[in-house]
Amino acid sequence: MSETVLQACNIRKEFGGIVALDALSFDIGRGSITAIIGPNGAGKTTLINVMSGLFPPERGTIVLNGNAITGRKSHDISRLGIARTFQTAQIFNNMTVLENVMVGRHTKTTAGMFRAALTLPGARREEKQIREKALHFLGMVGLRDAAGLPAASIPIGNQRLLEIARALAVEPDVLLLDEPAAGLNTQETRTLGELIRTIKSLGMTVIIIEHDMELVMDISDMIMVLNFGQKIAWGRPADIQSNPEVIAVYLGEEE
Amino acid sequence: MRLKPVLPILFFSCAVLCGPFFITSPYFLEILIFIGIYSLITLGLNLLMGFAGQISLGHAAFYAIGAYSSAILTTRYNMHFGISIPIALCMAAGIAYIVGVPSLRLKGHYLAMATLAFGEIIHICLNAAVDLTGGPSGIAGIPQMQVGQFVFDTEIKYYYLVWAIFIVLFIMTQNIIHSRVGRALQSIHGSETAASAMGVNVANYKVQVFMLSAVFAALSGVLYAHYITFISPQTSDLMFSIRLVTMVVVGGMGHIWGGLLGAGILTVLPEFLSIFEDYDMLIYGCILLVMVMFLPGGVVRGAEVVYSKLINLIRRSKGE
Repeated sequence: MSETVLQACNIRKEFGGIVALDALSFDIGRGSITAIIGPNGAGKTTLINVMSGLFPPERGTIVLNGNAITGRKSHDISRLGIARTFQTAQIFNNMTVLENVMVGRHTKTTAGMFRAALTLPGARREEKQIREKALHFLGMVGLRDAAGLPAASIPIGNQRLLEIARALAVEPDVLLLDEPAAGLNTQETRTLGELIRTIKSLGMTVIIIEHDMELVMDISDMIMVLNFGQKIAWGRPADIQSNPEVIAVYLGEEE
Repeated sequence: MRLKPVLPILFFSCAVLCGPFFITSPYFLEILIFIGIYSLITLGLNLLMGFAGQISLGHAAFYAIGAYSSAILTTRYNMHFGISIPIALCMAAGIAYIVGVPSLRLKGHYLAMATLAFGEIIHICLNAAVDLTGGPSGIAGIPQMQVGQFVFDTEIKYYYLVWAIFIVLFIMTQNIIHSRVGRALQSIHGSETAASAMGVNVANYKVQVFMLSAVFAALSGVLYAHYITFISPQTSDLMFSIRLVTMVVVGGMGHIWGGLLGAGILTVLPEFLSIFEDYDMLIYGCILLVMVMFLPGGVVRGAEVVYSKLINLIRRSKGE
């Protein structure tokens, strides 16, 4: 595998004495697609929350592009290059579809309260760029026609795509997707798989939590299997499918 | 997409400019001046409540801080407005920072309680610090505003002063809303978690918008003090804070015109209802209740719905 973009070392996270993640270490190669799978409660979402800075780990370090990001605030980590979506879509209901994606450009732009209030030429130019970029990413997920609609009014499947467009607008090095296919039908899931491949072709690294095994096996370069907060397997899709321990805890025991 | 936002404010500016040609009675002009003064606060308060989603039940305190700071500096220290007003605004911004940093970590009811308590503390201080503020009897003889030889001593002059300031700040506020900063504020309202995942420094923006709305309120207080030339703690009690929030809610939270409309309705309504004498408060309360029940998005959004229905109706009748 190529150069490492994200490195986790010995991560531990507890919630009131319950260990959610334990001694977790892994390297993610730049430009790869990694799937995290495991039974409910295995600590998958906790891992994404720790990586995106929603809460700090008790122990261990996370290194992004050679810089330690452990314990930094969520908005700092976003600026440093990790964007994410949420298990239950957290779109901004009070804004339009386009405005949602425009928020994603926040870290790439600089206008402050005063510059914005006076709408100086620089701020206006920046605003135009934000709009163009946002429309570009909306087009990528196929929601360009919905740009002017209130975000709350679009179907849940599209809200998930909107969240991906918003995270793409950050232009992160690493994109974390938390169950993006939940609630999608077969056709939509297939389109999602294509979209994730396109994202990879742009050079972004994708880490995805997903229960849809067909999708996972189809798109992933590497798969990490978690159980009770521990990494029980790590490898290519074919290896994972034939790993007896994984089959036992997750895919179901053979008769 | 939104309507071109320039047209309404242009139209409104013309209306403001022409207003005094039709309304000449000092009584009505005074009402319009008060609407302007209150609209300034609700403009900032709406940015805080409607856009960033943070409630404040203590904005009367910032109004008082502005009014008292400028009043004390001009009466006791013979300071010029050019100096007293910036100091008053900085005072409000500074206090908003000190209050905002800890209390904006709170959410919902807790933030409401914290800001309410802050308002009460300021109110008590104004009553108790007799040497500085004159206590319950307030400060009288505040000088009128003056630029060179030009004194803002008539209703009509003050009318233009207040509304010119309002229009300038309105345009600036509108620019903020349609900018990176405005979207960041709205994203905080939508989901704080997602906002910070998008790189928005939530705590920072909350404090910034709280300070900005405090400065608007202080400016409004300054304009009030130098217009009435008298200020007492009564003008900025808890009821006033609640009335400000009511103005924003009735007018339309999260809509740039909401604050203005709410300030207009809540200022004019009691004047009209005074013909009902003893029953005026009862009717006033009922009207507010009905408005909030049937127009939960505020009067502005109600008007928008009616407008679009009318347009549709006209189109259909033309088509057939």
